[in-house]
Amino acid sequence: MERYDIAIIGTGPAGISAAITAKLRNKSIILFGSAELSGKVSKAHSVQNYPGLPDISGEDFAAAFKKHLDSMGIAVTEDKINAVYAMGDYYALQGAENAMYEATAVIIASGVVPGKPFPGEEELLGRGVSYCATCDAALYRGKQAVVLGFSPKEEQEAVFLAEMAEKVYYIPVYKASEPKPEELAGNIEIVSAKPRSIERAEGKTKLVCEEMELVTDGVFILRESVAPGQLVPGLETDGAHIAVARDMSTNLPGCFACGDITGLPYQYVKSAGEGNVAAFSAVSYVDRMRRQA
Amino acid sequence: MIKEIINNDFSEVAASKASVVDFNATWCGPCKMMAPVLEKVSDLMEGKAEFFAIDVDENMMLAAQFGIQSIPTLAIFKDGELVAKSIGFVPQPALEKWLGENL
Repeated sequence: MERYDIAIIGTGPAGISAAITAKLRNKSIILFGSAELSGKVSKAHSVQNYPGLPDISGEDFAAAFKKHLDSMGIAVTEDKINAVYAMGDYYALQGAENAMYEATAVIIASGVVPGKPFPGEEELLGRGVSYCATCDAALYRGKQAVVLGFSPKEEQEAVFLAEMAEKVYYIPVYKASEPKPEELAGNIEIVSAKPRSIERAEGKTKLVCEEMELVTDGVFILRESVAPGQLVPGLETDGAHIAVARDMSTNLPGCFACGDITGLPYQYVKSAGEGNVAAFSAVSYVDRMRRQA
Repeated sequence: MIKEIINNDFSEVAASKASVVDFNATWCGPCKMMAPVLEKVSDLMEGKAEFFAIDVDENMMLAAQFGIQSIPTLAIFKDGELVAKSIGFVPQPALEKWLGENL
């Protein structure tokens, strides 16, 4: 498997800035994100404080980023990284459908995760709460589970789980077009409810909703983005943010973070600046590792 | 070195003064990443603790008995008694720290 020098997760201003600098420093990089780069940037009404680009619309700003990446031959790999494992002298990145990538250093620039965890969620993780249906489905053979899907693509996860489980309650936590029951398997029941908290109840897991309580063997919470501590096991976090030093290093050697995920202020120019710092730190880490090898 | 447990046979763990048990499965990504880390740490800790691996698909009784709902789950047993559990992938330094605190 090809081992990149630096893997960068996120295509907002932080990740793009990190990719540009790492590429200028002649490192082999892989940039994960979306071809549209950042939905947040494109939808911004106007940006007033980015030096050199006064009063630029979000759309033009995104187009300028795209042009910059293209001009440097930096491609965006459209895969959702679900987990990053610190293997010692390298990082293993797990994409969708279990695609694996390897890099010596990794830069997390995946932005802030909206929404707080439900009360009880973190305490019960691995003891009735799971974030990955494809990972834990086999442990639910003949059992019952609730799936909280935060986007329509999670319906497929519910279907996968239903192949193993006896019964799956699917709660769509989004408005969009409601899933049609006939399109999902027979042992999936679609429930409209507003989840509030999760409790343990006599060896079962109780999901307390505004309208009702669902007692099953487990609750799968499938959000669009993974919380930082969940994304990189062992990573030190500070609430919803990653704890970083001034050089954007984290508690894991070779893992750096930049942009909104490191904390306030949520500003494009701050993100781009941090991306630059993270890239320089990652470059010196990679050089150091190479000298040791 | 890590010993593979088969046929739900828990006797070696039960007889061990201190053991570390890795509940895993062949289809589980984080388990695959955890395995080489455990292998390294088991060599470092030779003589201090015995290391075992349990495939939850092959040993469903043991997985049920110890309430395994997410894998990988690492469990520390002393004289067959469960003393600590850790869920999910753990990098080597954090794993060594956790073992140091609980063994």
